[in-house]
Amino acid sequence: MANTITLSVNGATQTVSSAPETPLLFVLRNELKLTGPRLGCGMAQCGACSVLLDGEEVRSCVTPVSYAAGKKVTTIEGLPAIWATEKNLSGDVAAKTLHPVQQAWIDEQVPQCGYCQSGMMIAAVELLAKNPSPTVAQIKDAFTNKPPSPHLCRCGTYAAIIDAVQRAAKSMKG
Amino acid sequence: MTVQTETSGESLITTTITRRGFVKMGGALFVSLTIPPGFTLGAAESQTSLDPSLLASWLEIRGDNTILVRTGRTETGTGMSGYYAQAVAEELSVRPETITLILGDTDRTPDGGYSAGFLSGMENVRKVAAYTHQALLELAAKQLGVPVASLSVADGVVTGGGKSISYAQLVLGQQLDLKIPVSGGRAKIDPASPFGNGLGGLDGFTVTGEPRTKPVNQYKVIGTSYPVPGIPDKVTGKTQWTCDVTLPGMLHARMVRPATMGSTLISVGALDKKQFPTAEVLSKGNLVAVVSPNEWEAINAARSVAATTKWTAWAGLPGSENVTKAIRAYKWGAPSESQGKAADVAASLASASKTISATYELPYVRHAPIGPFLAVADVRSDGSVIVWTHSAQSQGLRAQIANTLSIPAEKVVVRWLDHSGQYGRTTFGGDGAEADAVILSQLTGKPVRVQWTLQEDLAWSSVSPAYVIDMKAAVEVSGRLSAVHSASYTPHQSDARLLGAFLAGMPAVTPKPGTWIATEWPYDKIQNRLEEAYGMPSLGADATSAGLRGNIMRTPGQRQQNFALEGLINEAAASARVDPIQFRLNHTTDQRLIDILNATAKAAGWEPRPSPHSGARKTGHNPVTGRGVCIMVRSNAYWAGIAEVSVVPSTGAVQVTKFTIGADCGKVINPRQLDRCMKSGVAMGLSEALKEEVTFDKEKVTSTNWSRYKILTMAELPKIKVVQISRDDKGFGGGSEAANAVVPPAVAAALFDATGVQSRRIPLTPAYVTALLKA
Repeated sequence: MANTITLSVNGATQTVSSAPETPLLFVLRNELKLTGPRLGCGMAQCGACSVLLDGEEVRSCVTPVSYAAGKKVTTIEGLPAIWATEKNLSGDVAAKTLHPVQQAWIDEQVPQCGYCQSGMMIAAVELLAKNPSPTVAQIKDAFTNKPPSPHLCRCGTYAAIIDAVQRAAKSMKG
Repeated sequence: MTVQTETSGESLITTTITRRGFVKMGGALFVSLTIPPGFTLGAAESQTSLDPSLLASWLEIRGDNTILVRTGRTETGTGMSGYYAQAVAEELSVRPETITLILGDTDRTPDGGYSAGFLSGMENVRKVAAYTHQALLELAAKQLGVPVASLSVADGVVTGGGKSISYAQLVLGQQLDLKIPVSGGRAKIDPASPFGNGLGGLDGFTVTGEPRTKPVNQYKVIGTSYPVPGIPDKVTGKTQWTCDVTLPGMLHARMVRPATMGSTLISVGALDKKQFPTAEVLSKGNLVAVVSPNEWEAINAARSVAATTKWTAWAGLPGSENVTKAIRAYKWGAPSESQGKAADVAASLASASKTISATYELPYVRHAPIGPFLAVADVRSDGSVIVWTHSAQSQGLRAQIANTLSIPAEKVVVRWLDHSGQYGRTTFGGDGAEADAVILSQLTGKPVRVQWTLQEDLAWSSVSPAYVIDMKAAVEVSGRLSAVHSASYTPHQSDARLLGAFLAGMPAVTPKPGTWIATEWPYDKIQNRLEEAYGMPSLGADATSAGLRGNIMRTPGQRQQNFALEGLINEAAASARVDPIQFRLNHTTDQRLIDILNATAKAAGWEPRPSPHSGARKTGHNPVTGRGVCIMVRSNAYWAGIAEVSVVPSTGAVQVTKFTIGADCGKVINPRQLDRCMKSGVAMGLSEALKEEVTFDKEKVTSTNWSRYKILTMAELPKIKVVQISRDDKGFGGGSEAANAVVPPAVAAALFDATGVQSRRIPLTPAYVTALLKA
């Protein structure tokens, strides 16, 4: 194909043909069929579309796919593999093991409608990579004050998210 | 888990067993599933409906002893799918994990009904399970050769006389021809509908009769924190959301909306085919859209077309700063609804030692989900229509789509999938992108996916209308209240029309202005009361877009009316110099209310004293603190909320530092999910109390992104304490919805406690509070 971009998505090399200015979100969803990240505001104001780019959270709704070229993109679908690699889990165990953040989201029964939660889990993974033992105040700060915008949940699951981040932090240390 | 069944005596239903050989579908065996030709489908039914009077339409037992349950209601995010599974599992004495649910699809579920009406929805499936249980026990009694009374069931296996047989074995190869009694009907267009939304039958079908159900003291599943079933798939990315539907040949659409709420189309802007080679512009009436096989092209082409599309001018809104004035200016006639005795209340007020009057105001707010409206529609050449939706009222939506396209409802199938929360806006089967999608699919002959933008959703979806509520109380010498008069005035709040339909000039339902009294009166010791609810048309109703289409939103009507009632009670308590909790206790004999209020007060560490507190201050840079309380009764549930705030008078900044919320909703079905719903409801209530207001100028809504329509962020969440009272003898009550409504009155009362200044309006923004404290 004439104009293609190569990126690494959840550990696999992908060549995509979308125009270079196309937001990464639409490439992931429509071309690569990765539907974990979802469209919220389309202008980096809510966090529903968040993915990790080389370990840093970005809003895929405003990130051109060309910017992701050559970088590692991680969506929630790729979180278990990250954990398996980090912990050297074997095939069988790896296949059955979720990322501790995902497991905590299940154990703490976080999602209500769940629309924003993919982005919330991405933000949690990023936070715990930088701060393995965040306090409640630090969790609130990370989900509210980190640019470009707060991570918004309209169902109001913030208390459950705080519980889940703390549970995941414990589990990741254990 | 072993449960001794209590069955004895005669069956309430007639069970006929007919041997019809194996009925196999999808590799599973069914009691009576594939509805054989000519057997179950009555003349009034079609291939796009299931007969609700057939048990098999609701429930199947599969060969592996798992169970499939179908209901037209949906999961709105509060955990109904868990509660339904628990109720069915309880009655059938199986593990809830063995139950899967089909929700909301009009062609694969029998009942329809409100998704928000979880109590009636759960009662339906509970009765279905109870009827099934009864029939299975009769079968087992015959098979095992023992009386029904000596049978017991554990985990879907019936045991008696030393022998056991599973439910699956019982129905293997047999057709359980079981009719159950139902009442009601399917949603339909009905101009005389009671809510004024132009639709009837939104309750759907109700399973009637009184099948023998399990006594509460034998419950093993209800009352446990069974995990809500859909959550693991949502967390791992396996859920198929409405936005994930893709069909061969599907086009992506972006809408081009009018320049103002009342504009009509002059000319459609040009599309540069060189720049957007595969895009196409479509229009019908005032409905304009751009479609493309490529979503990014559709987005850019729509922006480009919008820039040169011409609309007429219009300026028919009062502006959000003039809402109260506009409501006051309306020529009000008789109330839409009235309760109580006007003469007795007038006499009490006339003879009272003192009266208290106050007017409370609530602004326009909106549902504002994180994911804007979206729908996928396929209008086929044979005239059949499939719509993929996240509406909370599939059958109501089906009736509206059929009406808009002028085709019989039998031609329309609505398929439901998870998506962003609705918070009430689709409860009446309207609002949303579905009409846009079917109209565009009809115009193109292809499946079309319509994704609204956030700006579009915050500007064009329906809104929860403003309220102005006049309250008056008669106070006795003792300080107690002898009468309360409430009169609430509000624009229309049940406009369930689909925007695309009337923008395109196609048939849409006809809503009628009106409103209702939502309060469930908690103060039985107040002798006389008169409640009046007055409704007027939506602001800007004459516009082609129908202006600010008012719609219901979480805890509708009662959220607003309770703000006024509890505000008045707090003012009366302060006036009487009585502790506000004691003041409430003085005005009720309802033990459930008394218990939840006392338990919540205890959890909050409440120390009785009147408000405002002795250190209350309305000036200065140092923070002052306060606490406030409110209660509410709704849907067989009793609520209490206690807010603690810190206020900086000089800046008007109100920080809620702690919120204690208590609920007695009868028998608690799922304590953990109730905890989750109570805490998240507090978050939504705080958002409304502190931040939310739809703003508009004379032409259009202006609060069209998240920096203009502000909602609560995580940093603003206080510590939340939850109190639950579960009762075995009071049935089930609604616990998922109402927590939001007990927040604003408690926060306003806490602000008064801290500053000594009454706030009769929300949101308590710094600008408003500063002005209030200076006044």
